[in-house]
Amino acid sequence: MGLARAAALAALLVLWQLAALAGLPDYILSPLAIARHFFAALGTHELYADIGASLWRALPGFVIGSAFGVALGLAAGMWRAFDGAFSPVVFLTYPVPKIVLLPLFMLWFGIGDLSKVLIIALACFYPVFINAYYGARSTKKILVWSALNMGASQGRIFRRIVVPSALPQIFAGLRVSLALSFIVMFAAEMINARSGLGHMIRTAENSLRFDLMYVSLISIAILGYAGDRLLSWTRDRALAWQEQPA
Amino acid sequence: MRRAAPLILVLAILLAWEAVARSGHWNPLLFPSLSRIVRELIGFFGRPESLMEAWVSLQRAFAGFALAAIAGVTIGMLMGRSKWFAALLDPLFSGTYAVPKLALFPIFIFVFGIGSLSKVALVFLECLYPIVIVTSQGARGVSRVLLWSARNMGASGAATLRRVVIPAAAPFIFAGLRIALPIALIVVIITEMVSSADGLGYLVIYSLASLKTDRMLAVVVVIAALGWALDRALVMLRDRLVYWEKLETYYV
Repeated sequence: MGLARAAALAALLVLWQLAALAGLPDYILSPLAIARHFFAALGTHELYADIGASLWRALPGFVIGSAFGVALGLAAGMWRAFDGAFSPVVFLTYPVPKIVLLPLFMLWFGIGDLSKVLIIALACFYPVFINAYYGARSTKKILVWSALNMGASQGRIFRRIVVPSALPQIFAGLRVSLALSFIVMFAAEMINARSGLGHMIRTAENSLRFDLMYVSLISIAILGYAGDRLLSWTRDRALAWQEQPA
Repeated sequence: MRRAAPLILVLAILLAWEAVARSGHWNPLLFPSLSRIVRELIGFFGRPESLMEAWVSLQRAFAGFALAAIAGVTIGMLMGRSKWFAALLDPLFSGTYAVPKLALFPIFIFVFGIGSLSKVALVFLECLYPIVIVTSQGARGVSRVLLWSARNMGASGAATLRRVVIPAAAPFIFAGLRIALPIALIVVIITEMVSSADGLGYLVIYSLASLKTDRMLAVVVVIAALGWALDRALVMLRDRLVYWEKLETYYV
């Protein structure tokens, strides 16, 4: 099956290359041309500067948003009073596109990195909160009762029962929010930035540098894919005790 | 008291905003008072032009979402019920899942033009993923006992699909649609903010550029209300169509 898949992919690339030879519009580059431009860009300093600028916005935003999401989500899943006051507000604002707040954040926190990091953090907070919340709520009561019966303290129950049983859900939320952090980062950089991959693709677009457009596209694709792989590798380590679904 | 608690939190936030706006420490440009935002909000609904902008954004979101729903449910069903399709398409969807499709937007502008089509195409692409993935999970999880019973009672392939597979997958299909709908709105707003001369996203950027933050915040409120209302409408539709299974979520 793997061989058939590789063959299908190769056939697609060959067809694309042949179509490019037969003549495609300027803005569609052939796979070989894209590869050539990408490897040429890898040898320059500019690409790494843009990648660094982008990651410097996306990763802190992801970490801050996820940390708040896990902490508040678990708290809302465990404490009824907090749940009643806080969760409805989160669920009410959940379908609101957070990116519209970017202009406001730019006014409050300046047009630099801070406003972008905070908008990414806000966007990442929601999926992690909701997953941690349901994860904590789905903790088996019988486990908590048994632990209470055996004299476990609240902190111990939280550490040894609630967190482990919410962890698979939390990782599902982290996966969504990691992908989201790259999307919001790219959007924010396309709207307003002086560096980063989103800025690079905008300037390339405006100056009709199609090669740079594809370099930015390939870079963000690789970053997104690598981040996702890294996260699922971490999850497999962290959840090694969990039975693998068949 | 229980139901009042979230209201108190929201009221506290609004009061804090008003207090900051009226304290005079900050430029009213940064914190326009609630009364000014409300005035702009009323103005928004009084102007046919601004309602047109909302209509333009909604059309784009709906067009992309509807296309993604049709294509996504079909592809998801095929992937869930056919090993061959799953083997072919699963690596494609899981491999490119984490890649921000937004990066394709500049290329889409060249391919589909700067108007609505490039935006609709991007909405379609971004919405397709959650719908396909969740639908295929649902179609794959149809209980074997039900399928065997249907076959045993002589149901044809089409009847099995209509009476067993689709109803069993329906809650999943709606779960996927519910993830995709806010994405449709987000993508429309982002693409309008990045490059457009119309739509609500453009209105946000335009109000900011003309330093009318109260107007900008009024548009933000409209977009937020739209996102919320679309989600409610979808949940109501779901409760009508999938009445046999109660929505699992707690508050929403």
